[in-house]
Amino acid sequence: MVQGLSNEPSGRVGGVDVETSDLAVSLRSLPNWAIALGAVVALVVFAQFSEFVAESLVIGATENAPLVLAALGFALLYRLTGLLNVAFAETITLGGYFAIWLTSSFSWGFATAVLPAGIMAGALSVVTYLLIFRVARNRNVDGLELIVISFGLALFLRHALQFVFGYNTRFFETPPPNTINVFGVGVPSFRLLAVASVAVLSILIYQFIRRTSYGLQIRALASNDGLAQASGVRPLTVTLLIWFVAGLAGGLAGAFYGVGSAVTPLLGSRQLLLILLVVLVGGIWDLLGVVYVGIATGIALTAMTLLFGSDLYAQLILILFFLAMLKVRGNKLTDGSKV
Amino acid sequence: MLDWLDAFLISGFFGVLQIIGLGLLVHLQMGLSRVANFGVAGFWGLGLYVFGVLYIKVDWPFGDPFQFLICAFLATVASGLAGLLVAWLIADLDVDGALVGTLGFATVVLILATTQTELTGGATGLGGMRFPYDLGPAKTNEFVWVLITTVLVGAILLYVRWVHRSPYGRLLIAVGTNEPLARSLGKSTTRAKLTLFATTSALMGLLGAMQGVMFRFLNPATITINITLAALAGLILGGITRVWGAVVGVLFTVGLFDIVIQFYAPLPQEWFTQAIPVAREAVFGAALVLVLLFRPKGLLGEMKRPQLMRRIHDFN
Repeated sequence: MVQGLSNEPSGRVGGVDVETSDLAVSLRSLPNWAIALGAVVALVVFAQFSEFVAESLVIGATENAPLVLAALGFALLYRLTGLLNVAFAETITLGGYFAIWLTSSFSWGFATAVLPAGIMAGALSVVTYLLIFRVARNRNVDGLELIVISFGLALFLRHALQFVFGYNTRFFETPPPNTINVFGVGVPSFRLLAVASVAVLSILIYQFIRRTSYGLQIRALASNDGLAQASGVRPLTVTLLIWFVAGLAGGLAGAFYGVGSAVTPLLGSRQLLLILLVVLVGGIWDLLGVVYVGIATGIALTAMTLLFGSDLYAQLILILFFLAMLKVRGNKLTDGSKV
Repeated sequence: MLDWLDAFLISGFFGVLQIIGLGLLVHLQMGLSRVANFGVAGFWGLGLYVFGVLYIKVDWPFGDPFQFLICAFLATVASGLAGLLVAWLIADLDVDGALVGTLGFATVVLILATTQTELTGGATGLGGMRFPYDLGPAKTNEFVWVLITTVLVGAILLYVRWVHRSPYGRLLIAVGTNEPLARSLGKSTTRAKLTLFATTSALMGLLGAMQGVMFRFLNPATITINITLAALAGLILGGITRVWGAVVGVLFTVGLFDIVIQFYAPLPQEWFTQAIPVAREAVFGAALVLVLLFRPKGLLGEMKRPQLMRRIHDFN
């Protein structure tokens, strides 16, 4: 249920009687996913009649699927541990590098390499937690200092990885992908794989957090650390699980970003601000809110890029819009993004 | 006269001075009042670009040094106003919101510098700036510019020292330590933050203008987050709450790489093109992590004021 919406058909607002139509009441009583699905169906129908809408929708949803994946991973960490981990950008970058290493060293196809690359990124995410952030928590480092530590870790990883994978931009040596026609727009097969990954991972994470006992433990730990531990929740196992799943999502995003363009040391950090903004705005609702806002951001980015002829202008407008939201919503935006 | 001085060494010194200046200003923001600013590159870059664009693109009716003075003044004002705007945006936000606000501002500046090609030259860059004087060989002009920048950074250091001892500085410390308490005592903490951001951002813009004159070229690659992190790494290593923290820390980080290793370490020449610059950033990152984990107060330790207060209490 979206905050601030009421099921009451009518009421008094500011001393004035307000009659609400039956249609509005019915819409408000719908779950978020149903409203989102309705919006997508409406756009799909509209896409049949407008080339611009079709291109925005198809390119936006497929090219920016890695953004949704990355935002989902980042949000998981942010909502459940309260840590705004800037070094998550480097998990994305390393996902790209791991995938390129697997394809070039073992002659694997991209589709085969993508999941192992994500798992490697997840493992790296766990290692950074154990070596850095857990030590920081144990030493009562918090707030501003913890963010600066994550900046330091990001800077270290971004440059240290160049001694391992090389300084130059790297490209996947995979055969040209098949192109599939969606609403008259050609989409490479790996982009559809990215969309499928977003869908599967979103559902899995959502179901995992909502339905499983581990998910319950994760939520308990995030809500009240002390009480959860007193109730028998093993904090280390649960926390490691959060870091692994977040890293996995980031690593997959990096692999998909990389195969769509190229892998460079700045691959993740270039996306960081957009990911942060999507997580803060989408996080007002829940993890699915992050997915919806991520998809909407991707489509808006593509639509504006098509309109203005420059993706930088599109990013500029989106950043300004999100910053305005930050001012209007204030701390509700950051508080709402945590459990 | 300056035969002993290598031209690259001059630029190394200049780089160290710039980062010390920025570190001192970040100290006021994050060390004293604990307002997060991860957009230093944005304020500095805005000063650099406003100065450069005004200096090159405007047909001024007078020449140097007035042309320099007017352009540098306007660049300082522009950065100060931007600081005021960003402070207004983040004044009531927690550290996460401040991170997004300041980082967002720096990204906006970077995007504008890249996209406004007619004004800024875009990714290719824009040249044509000069020293506001001509004393002969380029090396002499550059050396004198380093001296002028030293005076400016010295003035910033004196300003920071003054802030530490002034009622305004005590208010900033109160904002950083317990803002609700300071507010409940009738102090306008929001106004203190706005003033702080406007002043420090203006000075960051002035440092950016100084950079424009020294390198005589505008390039978006110079205004990335690396400059913010270099200032932060130096400041945190030296001691984020200490007046001299930025000076000591930057000498140990940027000074070590850009002067000692660059000019005195007997390393293969080819390492200096990519390996050393990349290692420099990796070491800065590692320094940030290790210092904050194992010596969070930095090399110089805790702020002097609490030490003094403790001695007074012990005496009583």
